Amino acid sequence: MTAWRAAGITYIQYSNIAARVLREALRTELRVDAAKRDASHVKFTPWANGRPAHEKA
Amino acid sequence: MSIVKNARLLAARGARLAQNRSYSDEMKLTFAAANKTFYDAAVVRQIDVPSFSGSFGILAKHVPTLAVLKPGVVQVLENDGKLIKFFVSSGSVTVNDDSSVQVLAEEAHNVEDIDVNEARQLLAKYQSQLSSAGDDKAKAQAAIAVEVAEALVKAAE
Repeated sequence: MTAWRAAGITYIQYSNIAARVLREALRTELRVDAAKRDASHVKFTPWANGRPAHEKA
Repeated sequence: MSIVKNARLLAARGARLAQNRSYSDEMKLTFAAANKTFYDAAVVRQIDVPSFSGSFGILAKHVPTLAVLKPGVVQVLENDGKLIKFFVSSGSVTVNDDSSVQVLAEEAHNVEDIDVNEARQLLAKYQSQLSSAGDDKAKAQAAIAVEVAEALVKAAE
């Protein structure tokens, strides 16, 4: 077992770190755009009786 | 064992199995990442990939395989003999029965797009983060970053 797996890190988390470091090492003109992929956004809208109950960002 | 030798061995094994399997003489590569699609079912000659089960080369008639990608350089030898190098962060590689290959990465870029000085600075930054990390988890996270930065420096030099 790898050290990171033993520390409770999954391959998805490993992949996230690896992708972030690769983005950080890009040439300046590419890095700005690439950095936007660091964060992801999820919007939740609970539905009740066939219509959105309230919106939460 | 060298990548080329490894690839030849596997290809020879594939050729023997070809009699009772539906192998194709052409290898179709699909190579995509979240940021870009590099090849879409393009016919190529050879692909070298870094994986957790070792780096290996893929030629047409390769045995069907699944592997998990390691941060490193994917080399694609195109049909016209042009060799192109990409850096992949992580992901998966699938080799199918019909000689189609899928390389799916979270992030992938041409090796030329890596800034060597930036990579060296990152390596130093994460090495100091590793030595000052408190718990096992922080240590493991920094160690992953160091591993990737080392591979980046090696690939870009």
